[in-house]
Amino acid sequence: MNTMRQQHQRRGWQVRAGVLVAGALVAVACSSGESILDAGLPPPDTVPVPPTAGPDGSVATTIPATTTTTPLADLPPCPIEALEEASGTVELTFWHGMNNELEDALTELTNEYNAGQDKVRVTLQNQGGYNETIDKYFQSGPGGRPEIVQMPEYMVQQTADSDSTVPIGACFEGTGFDDSAFLPRALNAYQTGGVQWSMPFNVSNPILYYNKKIFEDAGLDPEKPPQTLTELRQYSKKIVDSGAARFGIAFDTGQDNGGGWFLEQWFSKGKELFADNANGRSAPATQVMYNNDFGVELLTEVQSLVADGLAVNVGANPSGQDSFLKLADQEKPAAMTIGTSAALGTIKVVLDGGLIPGLTSDQFGIGPMPGPDEQPGVLVGGASLHIVADQGDAEAAASWDYIQHLVTAEAQSFWASKTGYVPVRTDALDLQPLKKTYRDDPRFRVAYDQLTASSDDPSSSGPVIGPLREIRAVNSDAVSAIFGGADVAATLEEAAAQSNRLIRNYNARN
Amino acid sequence: MLAPSAVILGTFIIYPLIRAIWLGRQRCNPQGKNCDTTGWGQYTDVWRSEEFQQAIWVTIKFTLIVVPLGVALGVGLAVLADKYLGGIGVFRAIFSSTVATSVAVASLMWFFLLEPSLGVVANIGWINDLFPVVKEPGLLNDPGTALGSVALSSVWAGLGFTFILVTAGLQGIPADLHEAATIDGAGGTRRFWNVTLPLLGPTLLFVVVVLTTRAFQAYGEMDLLTSGGPAPQDSTTTVTYLVYGDTSEVRSDGGLQATTAVWLFVVLVGLALVQLRGLGKRVHYGN
Amino acid sequence: MNRVTGWRAVGRYGLLIALSALVLFPIYTTVIAAFKPADKVLDNRLVPDSFTLDIFRDAWTEGRLGRFLLNSLVVAVVVTVAQVITSVLSAYSFSLIEFPGRNVLFLLFLATLLVPLEATLVVNRQTIDSLGWLNSYQGLAVPFLATAFGTFLMRQVFLTLPRDMRDAATIDGVGHLGFLRHVAVPLVRPTIGALALFSFLSTWNMYLWPTLVTTEEDFGTVQSGLKLLKSRALDTPNLVIAGTVIAAIPIFLVLLIFQRQLVRGLTAGAVKG
Repeated sequence: MNTMRQQHQRRGWQVRAGVLVAGALVAVACSSGESILDAGLPPPDTVPVPPTAGPDGSVATTIPATTTTTPLADLPPCPIEALEEASGTVELTFWHGMNNELEDALTELTNEYNAGQDKVRVTLQNQGGYNETIDKYFQSGPGGRPEIVQMPEYMVQQTADSDSTVPIGACFEGTGFDDSAFLPRALNAYQTGGVQWSMPFNVSNPILYYNKKIFEDAGLDPEKPPQTLTELRQYSKKIVDSGAARFGIAFDTGQDNGGGWFLEQWFSKGKELFADNANGRSAPATQVMYNNDFGVELLTEVQSLVADGLAVNVGANPSGQDSFLKLADQEKPAAMTIGTSAALGTIKVVLDGGLIPGLTSDQFGIGPMPGPDEQPGVLVGGASLHIVADQGDAEAAASWDYIQHLVTAEAQSFWASKTGYVPVRTDALDLQPLKKTYRDDPRFRVAYDQLTASSDDPSSSGPVIGPLREIRAVNSDAVSAIFGGADVAATLEEAAAQSNRLIRNYNARN
Repeated sequence: MLAPSAVILGTFIIYPLIRAIWLGRQRCNPQGKNCDTTGWGQYTDVWRSEEFQQAIWVTIKFTLIVVPLGVALGVGLAVLADKYLGGIGVFRAIFSSTVATSVAVASLMWFFLLEPSLGVVANIGWINDLFPVVKEPGLLNDPGTALGSVALSSVWAGLGFTFILVTAGLQGIPADLHEAATIDGAGGTRRFWNVTLPLLGPTLLFVVVVLTTRAFQAYGEMDLLTSGGPAPQDSTTTVTYLVYGDTSEVRSDGGLQATTAVWLFVVLVGLALVQLRGLGKRVHYGN
Repeated sequence: MNRVTGWRAVGRYGLLIALSALVLFPIYTTVIAAFKPADKVLDNRLVPDSFTLDIFRDAWTEGRLGRFLLNSLVVAVVVTVAQVITSVLSAYSFSLIEFPGRNVLFLLFLATLLVPLEATLVVNRQTIDSLGWLNSYQGLAVPFLATAFGTFLMRQVFLTLPRDMRDAATIDGVGHLGFLRHVAVPLVRPTIGALALFSFLSTWNMYLWPTLVTTEEDFGTVQSGLKLLKSRALDTPNLVIAGTVIAAIPIFLVLLIFQRQLVRGLTAGAVKG
């Protein structure tokens, strides 16, 4: 019990602290400034040059757009006859990521299918979400995979490159499937190089959610939501100035929302390409193109909305709900937010249940996604259904049979009215219950109307890039920095460089 | 006799580690196929890359908050509850209770506390006035406070564990030592620093090593509370989240994941050695 | 330990109560929220004005928590028993049997505690997959049937057993297993209890592995169920909260019952070095 021991102990702590700090300093000083994505690889030979717009407004690439098509004959076939020839019931497992009411609706459709015939039995396996489904699918060998898998739209290229699926186009061809009633945009979203890879099933797109009561208080017409970014600014200014709400609109920077997905939407609405090779559809993309003047202008405007206090940034929104919750904020609410149409059903249930004090389900309105209006319509979001290859001929045929059931007009009418997803075919609108839903609550129609406008311009179908999920994460960071006040052009350059690294690495190994 | 343990540990820990070390020299596609071998240089490249450096720094910061705070609170509570008071058992049960919460449970509890729009803490008036960041943009969304908030939830979750271990250690200190010190005229505080703390040495060392290892490997908290954000600083992306998290860029390349994970192992070994050597020598083993 | 009386007691009680309140606060808000009726959950009063037990019934059925609880229980029990057995066996070897390379091997054992989960996850999943053990109790349990932590703990306490006890038994012709069964194990029962408790706790609380190794919903554990429930946080937040409470209750009970054993077990030489 003497001071020497105390000194010893103190020195012990000092030593440890010293070592830690030294280690940290050494580690930091060692930073090479390179990205982890370049680890182990030789530096690229050429740095891609961002393309510029030509005099007629069309964007030319320095690399001429290539076209590659894989003939269906080279891909796994769709053996339709195998189902009749099969003896006994064919068992199928279907991996999906639908939760809550979405899962309930899917279960109902599947039960109906199973009960209506005895050749095929489908078992639903909820993997917990899209990310879990993706991970488990790619980590499994053919023995561990299901017969049908639901992959989100950004995975279409990666799933195609995995050489593990039967392109649904083969089944179209084999049966002479009539897809005339289908929304062209929904089908095109899952097509590259002329091959239809998967069947669109749950289609969503971003819509504007707004508080009608706040609009009224601010002196705005509650039935006329803003259509363009300019109107968005005007409306927000009126709302904030009148004191009806603290903010005009709530933005988030999440991957699946404002930081990733919406960017691609805005580029399409602006008739701009997001990636080269016709958005990756005529041939695999080799670079992104969003660091151009359009991108800078667009993000500068959005940045200034936040800087001027007309919009609020709710952050990365990992739960997906933060932007909606901002509308329900008691003290500093926002009047509007952009969110996926897939949430419409849930929002209605939440508000009808009285979960958010002070806000009822009648009080909110739905409008189309505000943005540039060079090209009408929006991009398809959501997920699609893939038939997995090497699971047996009868299984593949059975999968096709089941998928067909899910996209009949009756099924889509039920699915859309129950969930708020957009039906993938126009004749679903003529059937109940969707007919009644759209008539009674036109808010559910907005997402559908946004998709009916189709166009031949390559920018009307969204980008198809292998590492799109990671690119959205990169963009999410960039938008976050921009909302924080960073220089828009420089940030976009960096994001584009990182995205191009991701693409290069992906293309090298697929 | 050793065989059962050895077989399990060998198959499920040593073998994957060796494969990971080998895989760390490769870059692969999402399915783990088409791998290109790039050589041991990949290890140095990853170590020096910006993302990794950033992640290691975040991990170190996280550990520096969690471990001292956890140890201090654990020791403080244990010493406080060490006295013979009526009903002390109830308090002991309360302080140990957090050991029953898993990462998922604890993180969800704290999520419901800290969420800015509807969380409990965020809507207590006077807290809001004192610390506006609680509400806007929220403790978990502000780059300055996100890591601290996640660390807080982690400290809380680990409180029970530390408390139990330190209490056990305290009960191992012979009562006569305390009495002797009191007779010698030492008051409560002096007794703590000169008798209790030194004799708690082995326990504290164990606790520090375990807490540090745990902190370096923490994953669930970041996944559930912040998803590695908030962007763009990626304030809560630790090395584990860099390897496996939802927003990680490294996810689809099994080779890079392996390289990063192996580096984490190396750092942990280094840390354990430093702690055992540096502190172990100064620990007094009684009897 | 001397009895604290008078003002010092009052002061200490005050401090204890204040700290307990802080520690319990997150648990309190969660439990209270679980009891509120569905539409009142998100209004942040700290003391609710109405109670209902409906939510637990709902969480049980809708959250499939019944099945998940069973899975968690089975896996936790299996792993606990296995970890105790393998740890006792290996710790005995490391403490009471001499063989060349013993220290090196022990260090290797300890090193496995430092291997991060991320390094082993994918490979282990492949191993389990190739054994055909996805979606099975084996897949959930087998990688965790042994742990170096257990070996370490048991070795610590075996080292405190007097040498001559073992020598005497050898002279009597008692083999290793016999010695273990009849002499060593009964002596170290509290530590075994502590190890069992820790094993149960950590297996029950496993988060990443069960989600990875199961693709069929029937085989999830309570923790993966919680992650599933989190997606429902907006429309049925009380469901998530009830799920959290349900997931934690069994452990609280176990902890409460075995708390004394736990402390006693850890005191018996385990952390003395």
